[in-house]
Amino acid sequence: MHIPDGILPGPVTAAGYAATAVVTWYSVRKINQKENPRQDIPKASLLTAAFFVASWIHIPVPPTSVHLVLNGLLGAVLGYFAFPAILIGLFFQAVMFQHGGLTTLGVNAVIMGLPAIIAHYIFRIRRFGNQESRRKTGIFGFLSGAVAIGISVAMFVLILLTNIPADLDIGTERAALYTLAIAHLPLIAIEGVITLLLAVFLQRVRPRILDGV
Amino acid sequence: MKLGIVDEYSDLGSLLHRWEPRCKLIGLMVLIFAFSFVRDLRMLLAMVVVTITIYIISKLPVSFILRRLRYPSFFLLVVVLILPFVSGQTIVMSIGPLDLRQEGLIAVLLVVTRFLSILTIGLILFGTAPFLTTIKAMRALGLPAILADMVLLSLRYLHEIGSDLQKMQTSMSLRGYKKHRFSTRALNVAAWLGGSILVRSYERSEWVYKAMILRGYGYAPTTRGEFQTNSRDVITLGVFLLIAIGFITGDILYGRGVAALLQ
Amino acid sequence: MLSEELIKPTLTVSGLWLSYPDRPDVVQDVSLKVMPGERVGLIGPNGAGKTTFFLGLCGVLKPSAGEIVVLGKPVLNGHFRPEVALVFQNPDDQLFCPSVWDDVAFGPQNMGLSKDEVEVRVKEALSVVGAVELADRPSHHLSEGEKRMVSIAGVLAMRPRLLIYDEPSANLDIRSRRRVIHLLQESKETLLIASHDLELILEVCNRVVLVDSGHIITDGDPCKIMSDDRLMEAHGQEKPHSLVPHRIPHHEL
Repeated sequence: MHIPDGILPGPVTAAGYAATAVVTWYSVRKINQKENPRQDIPKASLLTAAFFVASWIHIPVPPTSVHLVLNGLLGAVLGYFAFPAILIGLFFQAVMFQHGGLTTLGVNAVIMGLPAIIAHYIFRIRRFGNQESRRKTGIFGFLSGAVAIGISVAMFVLILLTNIPADLDIGTERAALYTLAIAHLPLIAIEGVITLLLAVFLQRVRPRILDGV
Repeated sequence: MKLGIVDEYSDLGSLLHRWEPRCKLIGLMVLIFAFSFVRDLRMLLAMVVVTITIYIISKLPVSFILRRLRYPSFFLLVVVLILPFVSGQTIVMSIGPLDLRQEGLIAVLLVVTRFLSILTIGLILFGTAPFLTTIKAMRALGLPAILADMVLLSLRYLHEIGSDLQKMQTSMSLRGYKKHRFSTRALNVAAWLGGSILVRSYERSEWVYKAMILRGYGYAPTTRGEFQTNSRDVITLGVFLLIAIGFITGDILYGRGVAALLQ
Repeated sequence: MLSEELIKPTLTVSGLWLSYPDRPDVVQDVSLKVMPGERVGLIGPNGAGKTTFFLGLCGVLKPSAGEIVVLGKPVLNGHFRPEVALVFQNPDDQLFCPSVWDDVAFGPQNMGLSKDEVEVRVKEALSVVGAVELADRPSHHLSEGEKRMVSIAGVLAMRPRLLIYDEPSANLDIRSRRRVIHLLQESKETLLIASHDLELILEVCNRVVLVDSGHIITDGDPCKIMSDDRLMEAHGQEKPHSLVPHRIPHHEL
């Protein structure tokens, strides 16, 4: 879901950085408004690293395997720290593994990070109504995971197809859009399921994590 | 997975190694942004020449960049194989049922060259100074303290958490788990692994926080680093900024021709 | 005695009760007095409350009842008191800075010391633990023994008067363990050491406090307490080898 360097034209990458700067500034402001922001920094940092590592877990999907993105759960668990966490994760990926991109850091952060924030609000909805049940956690877990990755895929495909430095005729473009979208459907389903399983696991083992940072 | 030791050659002492970190960060980042603006084939050539020259000045071994470009080049392969056959109207050659299109070929050239040049400059930026120094430079340039702290803490524990994952996976395979088959069990196991990592990290973070406040975290204003520039640093920065402006201007002047072609 | 009245205790704990949100009364009504220069060993089974007690002493955990006074001033929750230092059981929890130098400098920097003074403190602390050449290394490139030494340096750099060690010899090889024991024996600070390594306690401490289930069971001379078989076994301990009377002589005279 990361757009590498070299594909997107300058103005788009610059716009990406600008958007990321704004959202980051807003997130940092919200964090500083908390009662004890310092207490949450180690939590958010270690969870950032943990999510980064967790994305190395491969799910075998014949013929290959996919690795998890988990931006939905990240949003559910980290709240306002989610956007900086994703930005940092993408930064590490770009610098350490040359995966993703440096010029596209801004665009990629928006693609992965904004849906995470949306997922945070979706997951919060489960608090309405009285009891905390495993089923509720599971359902909202699935929703956060699937919706987050769904929006990311949509943004990724749209930004990519509208900015490739060559023109595709309408027919090819539409075909590409449909193929890419359909190819990602299994991924969306798996992310949803894994997020469900993870949310239920966390509720059993350490429910405090789900209360957010 | 070996964790990103991009700065293994950070002590070579070239001009780029000795360039003050803040100036280097600004200079090289502006340059790679300028690269992403390039659309003209003539500018492409200039981009390649500039990139190679800077690489030579950096004294980084060729093996370094070849090794680092291996993995991301797979993406390039996809672009190279698909774009020329789907993009554009002007058909240059036909290979059986597939038509090679001019616009697609130009697009491929553009993407590949920009990609390789940007990645190379990126490697030079992060490879010619200890990673920690570059982060401190970012902090000095205004990166919010929260982000800087998070980068350093996440980096520090990335190794521990990564090795936790490896240990758990080893213990799984020692107990006979084979992970090639897709099944509900595979999904469950993946979730338990991921969940364990998250819980362990969460609990460890509570100890780290205690350790931090016990040694006064929050009592001193976070310093912005002690970098000092000399005139050589600033002049080098000026040179790079000029080159970057050159590329952007060049694109505005010449790019129009190619842009019209691609439209 | 007159001299006792003039010397103030380093640590006075009165009626301390400590709880966690999910675990009440981990430490129950503990009272303790430690004089300057004493080396107190805290022994007891896992879950006795030793670590919790330490967190209370440092002001990290707020007591549900009781008072703690260190060096004449009460310990307040959340206040930074560099005179009291805690070395954690797991050095990884404590080594959170990118490099060794940064980690050892962390405390002095937060104390507001000048750059030069910080430099002095870091060098001093690293040389006491014998880790000067590790200064530029990233924390995760250290062996267990090195991590332990660096985490000790990190607190020594604050020049504390009361040093608390939680399982200092855990996970160490023989050589590293010997270095830690040597370091503890050379310490001039007041020490409070929790350890399952009873031989270490015998070699270092001049006083032992046995704890179990949140209470102090007994407090006194290390040899006397640790040679009491019944007492030790009743609280999940064993007599250390050095105190076992040898029926089959196997030491050369």
